[in-house]
Amino acid sequence: MENTNEASRSLASAIDIGFLDPKKAEFYVTAGGFTGLRYEGNDYKRITLRRAFPIGKPSEYISVADKDNKEIGIIRSLADLDKDQYEIVVAELEKRYYSPTVYEVKSVKDKLGYVYMELLVGKNGATYTKNCAVKDVTRNIRLLSEDTLAIFDVDGNRYIVESLSKLDKKSLKRLEPYLL
Amino acid sequence: MFNYDLDLSMNRANGTVTFDESGTITSSINGEVLLTLSADNMTELSVSGGVGCGFLYATMKDESEVLICRFTMSVLKAAGEFCKVVNYYINSKEFPKSEEKHKLVCEKCGRPFAEGISVCLFCYDQMGVLKRALMLLKPFAPKMITAQLFLTLSQILYLLVPLFSRMLIDDHLRTQTGTAMQVIILAGAMFLARGLGELIYIISSRVYNKCSILYSNHLRVLAYEKIQKLSLNSLAKRTPGDLIRRVMEDTGTVRNFISDAGRWAIEQMIVFVVVLIILLVTNWRLTLLVFLPVPLVAFALSRFRGFIRLRYEKQWRKNSKAHSILHDIIRGIRTVKSFGKEEMEIEKFAKATRELAQVSSDNEALWSLLFPTLLFFTGIGEFLILYFGGRSVLGGGLTLGVLIQFTMYIGYIYGPLRWLVSFPRWLADATTSMVKLFEIIDEEPEIIAVENPKNVPLEGKITFENVTFGYKSYEPVLKGIDIEIKPGEMIGLVGRSGAGKSTIINLLLRLYDPNQGRITINGVDIREISPEYLHENIGVVFQDTFLFHGTLYDNIAYGKEGATPEQVIAAAKIANAHDFIMQTSDGYNTIIGENGYTLSGGERQRIAIARAIIKNPSILILDEATSSLDVETESIIQESLDRIVKGRTTIAIAHRLSTLKNADRLFVIDGGKIAEYGTHFELLKKKGIYYNLVMAQRKTSKIAEPVEV
Repeated sequence: MENTNEASRSLASAIDIGFLDPKKAEFYVTAGGFTGLRYEGNDYKRITLRRAFPIGKPSEYISVADKDNKEIGIIRSLADLDKDQYEIVVAELEKRYYSPTVYEVKSVKDKLGYVYMELLVGKNGATYTKNCAVKDVTRNIRLLSEDTLAIFDVDGNRYIVESLSKLDKKSLKRLEPYLL
Repeated sequence: MFNYDLDLSMNRANGTVTFDESGTITSSINGEVLLTLSADNMTELSVSGGVGCGFLYATMKDESEVLICRFTMSVLKAAGEFCKVVNYYINSKEFPKSEEKHKLVCEKCGRPFAEGISVCLFCYDQMGVLKRALMLLKPFAPKMITAQLFLTLSQILYLLVPLFSRMLIDDHLRTQTGTAMQVIILAGAMFLARGLGELIYIISSRVYNKCSILYSNHLRVLAYEKIQKLSLNSLAKRTPGDLIRRVMEDTGTVRNFISDAGRWAIEQMIVFVVVLIILLVTNWRLTLLVFLPVPLVAFALSRFRGFIRLRYEKQWRKNSKAHSILHDIIRGIRTVKSFGKEEMEIEKFAKATRELAQVSSDNEALWSLLFPTLLFFTGIGEFLILYFGGRSVLGGGLTLGVLIQFTMYIGYIYGPLRWLVSFPRWLADATTSMVKLFEIIDEEPEIIAVENPKNVPLEGKITFENVTFGYKSYEPVLKGIDIEIKPGEMIGLVGRSGAGKSTIINLLLRLYDPNQGRITINGVDIREISPEYLHENIGVVFQDTFLFHGTLYDNIAYGKEGATPEQVIAAAKIANAHDFIMQTSDGYNTIIGENGYTLSGGERQRIAIARAIIKNPSILILDEATSSLDVETESIIQESLDRIVKGRTTIAIAHRLSTLKNADRLFVIDGGKIAEYGTHFELLKKKGIYYNLVMAQRKTSKIAEPVEV
């Protein structure tokens, strides 16, 4: 552990990671409907927030970039932000990362290397049926943990099975051949 | 207009964005208007992608940005097409001609189309496709039909054997009334029927198979010819693997279907009907017993087939995972060892093989249980016939010969039945392969050669007039490019990676056509020049040199059809390649490995230069031709390039700015536009983007290497 700390210290001295000072950062919603940031005398009208570790640490290490994709800085942890600032940032992240939850796998059909799935998915309480095609299932049906599964379709949408163990038996049986 | 599927708070919604004749963009959800914007007040309409979602926004003339709508990734392409239309209007105040929209999902079943295929694989007209495949079969039809008739005849001859056998047993052996001669005649007839059947079978199946091979070859050539003619844009929609599979595997699937399934369909059905009639006439009660286990077996086969296939596919995927881990480790063994990660990699591979072993063993256990069980049930009919038939023989209701004839014919009944269960899948596989092949064959090339080309002498005056282009229509890479290049001038294109430099070259080579504007050479639009003539007059050297398997001579001569040895040597000498070629044991006849792996980077590049200049082109394009080489090799190649650019219009891209020091003019491309142009010194004086690039390179060159600029 000591060695790791030493290593990070020496790395940190070689490069400035550029953490944002949460006390100086002021996130706000622009008139055009985007999220902006005032920081150290600069006003960034449309920022992009990106999670450095969307799977393991979704609330930590959030990169903030300007509209030209130049990084302004990194929020070390969302917990460091004030309540209203926190809400703006979380709302913006919700708009960048859209992964509906899979509630049921209605059918799975394999054809010419594509797996066609009919899924009952939802977000914020509302559910709907989605027909999607998945190519290269080894890579695009991926276990994120023992119990969590991500499905990436050919359009670039992603769907999350939050708990395989809570999925109904038929759905699980349909997915089973693709769980690697 | 396009429909979107999320509201601004990322909830599911039925939204629509329209663009009307007054130039107004309106966004509404369930008919309720949320926002209206005039395109006249905008500078650009854009889409931006997030993770699993995207949004459409307008940049207004006062530089503010307005969010219009949000959507899932399924809508991204439609939103991009919409942007293209609106941006065309913003730039020209005119509405573009309506283009046919590419459908993304099947209107019938709602399933998305597979990548690169615009036909729903679940809903296409199977019979229509089959009909078309049969039409293509026409030239081979007379031979195939004759062969088919003879194949059926051979099967009928086989069917005579059980009949002769019954006659032998019942009429001569059982009654013990037959003479030796009668036995010999019947045994001889059996031998003859079988032997003749086999002979006819061998000859006719050879003819039939040959026809099916010729047919698949015909399809393969059709598909390959089309691939050669399609534009890079069309080809980019599909992976090389996909195209190779279509040309090789899909034609193979069609061939297998024609040679096996198609042939068997006729053969087996005739045999089935003939046997069925014989059996029914002989004893209809026993015949019904034959069919007793059929529904059970058919049900079991259809029920388990899908299940077994999925299990074996899982095994195949586990195998492929273990394979790719092994491949990765072996390729990166140097890295693994230098980081001391051997144990970790051993465990990673061991885990993958353990999982594979588990799945394989489960599958084998299942198969070893399932297969004999199915066989047992299939054989039930035989037991029933033996039991009931045996009882009838003992009771005198049936002769022994008839019973033996029955048991011999059972195989002829079960064979086609088993085959019938698999037929729908074979048919489906074959027709889907046909759909994929016809899709390629039918595709209209985007780069169309004009009927009466204006192949005027191309002296090298090149003009780009307001050229706008994007590989994806909604993401323009070049925006309103205007360049005029004089004959014999050397032009350098400079800019950051992804700025659009190589795209300019792709357009000049007419690998793609611009979305707007035009490119002319000597005043003639390059779309009016035949592609072959255009390429004959342009020599290109890319950074990634692709050399074909063959000799050094073949690779240089590839640039000019019918090149003489003198021309090849001259080209090699100009490219500074001759000396190293002569060092090899076989000189110009040295065979190089696939992609020229036996040559060093510099040597490969020099062969590529020789290949480009052998046709003595009036226009020369050097796309990062020396970027991947060390300074010493670069200077050798630079020397040869300096020699060949004289008197030719040359366009060069190089990230090492020193390479372009001799250029007459430099164009700095930034964000798809020409940001600056002028000579090296003019641009340095300007202290703009070029100046910054030079300074940045000088800074790194202090650490890396000296750069003269």
